[in-house]
Amino acid sequence: MAVESQRVEDYRLAKEPYYLPLRNEVELFEAAYHQRLPVMLKGPTGCGKTRFVEHMSWRLERTLVTVACHEDLTASDLVGKYTLRGDETIWQDGPLTTAVKAGGIAYLDEIVEARKDTTVVIHPLTDDRRMLPLEKKGEIVQAPDDFLLVISYNPGYQSVLKDLKHSTKQRFVAIEFDYPPPELEETILKNETGVDDDVASKLVKIAEKVRNLRTHGLEEGVSTRLLVYAGQLIVHGVEPIAACEATICKPITDDLEMQRSIVEIIATQF
Amino acid sequence: MTFGPAVGNVGMYVAREMLVSVPEDQRQAYLRMVEEISDLKYQLGVEVARQLPRLLAEHDPGLVARYLSQVRAVAATGWKSGVEVAKQLPDLYDAPDETLADAYVAIISDATVGPAEDAETSQLSGELDTLERQLREMEPKVKRAQELRTLLAARDRRDEKRRKHAVELASALPPILARLRPRYRPPYLTQVRQVAAADPEASLEAADTLLDLLNGERVSPEGAAEWVERGLEVLERNKEVGRGYFRLGSKYALEVLDELKEGLALKSVARVLKLYATALSGREVAIRGTNELTALEAYGDDHILLPPEMRFFEEDAANFTAYKVATAHGAGRIEFGTYGFSLADIPQTVARLQARYPRP
Repeated sequence: MAVESQRVEDYRLAKEPYYLPLRNEVELFEAAYHQRLPVMLKGPTGCGKTRFVEHMSWRLERTLVTVACHEDLTASDLVGKYTLRGDETIWQDGPLTTAVKAGGIAYLDEIVEARKDTTVVIHPLTDDRRMLPLEKKGEIVQAPDDFLLVISYNPGYQSVLKDLKHSTKQRFVAIEFDYPPPELEETILKNETGVDDDVASKLVKIAEKVRNLRTHGLEEGVSTRLLVYAGQLIVHGVEPIAACEATICKPITDDLEMQRSIVEIIATQF
Repeated sequence: MTFGPAVGNVGMYVAREMLVSVPEDQRQAYLRMVEEISDLKYQLGVEVARQLPRLLAEHDPGLVARYLSQVRAVAATGWKSGVEVAKQLPDLYDAPDETLADAYVAIISDATVGPAEDAETSQLSGELDTLERQLREMEPKVKRAQELRTLLAARDRRDEKRRKHAVELASALPPILARLRPRYRPPYLTQVRQVAAADPEASLEAADTLLDLLNGERVSPEGAAEWVERGLEVLERNKEVGRGYFRLGSKYALEVLDELKEGLALKSVARVLKLYATALSGREVAIRGTNELTALEAYGDDHILLPPEMRFFEEDAANFTAYKVATAHGAGRIEFGTYGFSLADIPQTVARLQARYPRP
């Protein structure tokens, strides 16, 4: 029976992804990698978790397999399944199996969104057994030393129905992220978008003010990623207030009065 | 079972076997005779259709004519007797005594008709007819009386409700007048009176709303009069919708108010300003109108006091900007603790400053 696996070269990063360390997260991640400890990244949307993993993948010279988890993602989708190809039944490795076999970094983004059976699959990979059972195939894949499992988790979104169990949480080294301090966020914006000091400073001030509205009707504050989008539009020639409205205001709320107050904050800066 | 063609418009069917038993040259006549007798009664037609083939087979037109005539005669006295006679007669025709059939028909006819009506029965019957006719003539009047009863009961209930709301208005009006600025009282009373005359329930709503509109200076007295006039038009069309109008619960009421108002109302932008100030200062801020100002100490150091109306400019956008400037000013004071200052802190502050900057 044929076995199909995706080419791991596809997941190797050729160019260094820009990442500005905020605290000691790089050292922590490296230590966890060398000690073969799985890592959990916690933090709000768009604060740089995925970019951080990409950066670490490049830094450690490991392939990176990212899986964006969603509510229909099953254990089979992660591990692999039998599929029909012409007259032949072939086994197709899932992304997790591909990463384990290649000894790369498997990054399960927003793991709580996936079905519960996926967490059962990752448990044997996260303790000292470091193995991945392929139940349907009756096979166990032993993870090589250089394999690392990373999950991300946004505590702000979680509810009673969607939360990681303690038996899962307590298998990971947690690295907490938040929005960068203003001066670092300005540096990130300039680096990512090419905006000048003045625009970067104004965008960060807007973000700082809008983030004050968390718990006052906004579920989450404006993310660094959205600020980067705003900067990119401005650099491309879009008028700053229009760019900020499209990236900072409209995506984060549908409440018209909230939108209007954010627009006023934007107008205060530009 | 198969059926033959329909017999005229009687709606009756003759079984095909029955039709086949009739000599071919007499079938049309057979169907016509059945149709004619069926006109008297459907069941008669069915029975005659069954018996006729047997008589027609004897090729004696006189016998058939006699049969049909005798059946008709008995049926005229009662159709059920006619059906039974139609069934029995052909057997009686076969009897050796030819008078038997005629006697049988006479007996059944007499028995069905019964004795001649006596005078008393006729009189009673006539009286009953008259009474029944009179009752039929009375029916529309009885119906109308019932309608009037229902209508009057509804009016009575409505009047009761009206009186109840008038009492409520009598109790609510004095305290409202006490709260209303004296210069607005005369136009206010005129307007409430107009609404009360039309519908006391709506006037209860109007009394409260007009108090807010005039005291809050959201509309001028002339604007309030116009707003009431438009509301009365709505009330005339539909009481419930009109009451909604006077409690500012309808889109139309707000539109009219928007059209008549002077300046920008704080109420309409208070939440936006609150969010704006909260975002600027990073603290939960409350926006209050100066018209709500009854006791200064009731307000915390996180309150921003603004006028209930902003009417510096003609355009709402410019008035909003004026509000925004005032809000930003208030937010700045909140953020940097202007209102957090307390005289009781002075000795502590002096001591701290003395410790930091000792005299040489």
